[in-house]
Amino acid sequence: MRRAGIVFTKEVLDNLRDRRSLLAALFYPILGPSLLVLVLLLVGRTFRDRAESDIELPVAGAAHAPNLMNYLGSHGLDIVEAPSDPEAAVAAGDADVVLVVPEDFAEAFTSGQPAPLQLVVDGSRNTATISVGRVRRALDSYSRRTGALRLMARGINPAVVDALAIEQVDVATPQSQAANLLNLMPYFVVFAIFVGGMYLAIDATAGERERGSLEPLLTNPVARWEIVAGKLGATMLFTLVSLVETLLAFAVLFNVVPLGDSLGIRLSLGVGTFATIFLITVPMVLLAVPLQLLIAAYTRSFKEAQNYLSMLPLVPALPGMFLAFLPVKPALWAMLIPTFGQQILINQVMRGEAVAPLHVGAATAVTVVLGIALTALVVRLFERERILFGR
Amino acid sequence: MIEARGLRKAFGTVVAVDGVSFTAPDGRVTGLLGPNGAGKTTALRIVCTVMRPDAGWVRVDGFDPVTDPREVQRRLGVLPDAHGLYPRLTSRENVRYFGRLHGLHGADLDARIERLVSLLDMADIADRRSEGFSHGERMKVALARALVHDPQNVLLDEPTNGLDVMSTRALRDIIRRLREDGRCVLFSSHVMQEVAALCDDVVIVAGGRVVADGTPEDLRRTTGCDTLEDAFVAVLGTAEGLD
Repeated sequence: MRRAGIVFTKEVLDNLRDRRSLLAALFYPILGPSLLVLVLLLVGRTFRDRAESDIELPVAGAAHAPNLMNYLGSHGLDIVEAPSDPEAAVAAGDADVVLVVPEDFAEAFTSGQPAPLQLVVDGSRNTATISVGRVRRALDSYSRRTGALRLMARGINPAVVDALAIEQVDVATPQSQAANLLNLMPYFVVFAIFVGGMYLAIDATAGERERGSLEPLLTNPVARWEIVAGKLGATMLFTLVSLVETLLAFAVLFNVVPLGDSLGIRLSLGVGTFATIFLITVPMVLLAVPLQLLIAAYTRSFKEAQNYLSMLPLVPALPGMFLAFLPVKPALWAMLIPTFGQQILINQVMRGEAVAPLHVGAATAVTVVLGIALTALVVRLFERERILFGR
Repeated sequence: MIEARGLRKAFGTVVAVDGVSFTAPDGRVTGLLGPNGAGKTTALRIVCTVMRPDAGWVRVDGFDPVTDPREVQRRLGVLPDAHGLYPRLTSRENVRYFGRLHGLHGADLDARIERLVSLLDMADIADRRSEGFSHGERMKVALARALVHDPQNVLLDEPTNGLDVMSTRALRDIIRRLREDGRCVLFSSHVMQEVAALCDDVVIVAGGRVVADGTPEDLRRTTGCDTLEDAFVAVLGTAEGLD
């Protein structure tokens, strides 16, 4: 074990002097959280702007309905001249929504008939939903108010036309609303785990062989498992640094950057949340590092190892991307898929939900057992003569 | 002392070493001479524990590399064909790493490194990172690394490959000094002058087999040749692959 420590110390010292290894462990981990927070800020600002400030409403034929225009104008909508071809403008995304008032509007309105209005929208554009919703609500309330006045003029209580009294109760806590966007976070955590020690893993295996220092190393009176343990430990250290740094970056950014203001919600992702996420994700280090060493030791060259290992983070990240759009309910079967289970658990913790100890236990056990099996494979690979030549 | 008997090693259908036997006694320099691809490197790899023979056995001071690799490794200093350094470590750090793996540490290790630095005349490169070292400089560090634990047996695979005249002379001095210390030196070469200049015993290998062995004097006499070069050509049947 003391010799494993010597290998560990050498690999750490050696790779602390390597720019690529340092970048992978120290710089890349900050990249993900920064990007995510930046995107959240931009999205939040866009939503808030449209939800709170006055928005422009292009209207064609505004002169046909001056009272309606006054009403809309006093409800946060700035009436502007519509483009000559409203449908083309909306289709092209130049306007979120265009209101068209036909010539017969005034006649129908004064004779008590439903007055025709056309709302030109593009239902496939998510960013326009807020503008469209606000225009819809303003028109509906104008319609209801006018209808109510007409009923009262005829001596009827306007309440009789409301057969149902619907109150919508939104059960989403402010945190879980934000978490819809934060669903991308597990992706970045997994990314950090598979990138942090990547260059060290390559340097210590395929790199060591390519430099011609592997054969001399193996002639020292050290058991192969001790060499593997040292290299494994050094790679784990770099990976852990990367993981902790990513979580710290998230913790700091979420609590310092005024995300709550721009998303219109309150975030309380405290120290406890991130400590829990750390404990849930640490077993993935025990899986990722032997997997990286195994692949890198098996390849013929540094370049080849680099090709494979830079693809590796994408594999466990695929379910993470999937989660961002189609949240999966935490189920035991999902916990049995290493890295997928952890991503669901991270999500739950972020949403402030209680995680099932059985789920944490299952995800951890499967991941650790697989990691131990991979470690045994790395040792076996190092004990073979083929380690001198690669695949 | 290194003994090998009936070593055989095949890679797939290619038989690299086919029944090689030799003895390299203490206090003598034994040369494995043969053209490229003769099986010299494979034979040395079996001795230094990184490969296992399909048949035959090796003893290093009586220990078997297959069953007692740790004991063999402790008694061997190896300069393999590929003797790459860690480019981001200084010469001293490269040597210290292997010294520590041999269980050396502290003042004792520092003193040994200091001795090797002066013996190999590498004071100017001792604290420089080995990135960009010349061939000769790299060889010096690799040799210091191989000798740091003061091994009784020294294995050198093609040590003079790519070395300039001065470095080659320095290497010869080291090898002679090791012999005077009573060490067992086994080295391989395809350069005849090297073997002629240094070896007490010569083992000529071709096609994975030992085709002749003995002192240079013996070889000249048995082949009836005036020079060692003619003797080599006579036993190999061809000078192909020999410089």
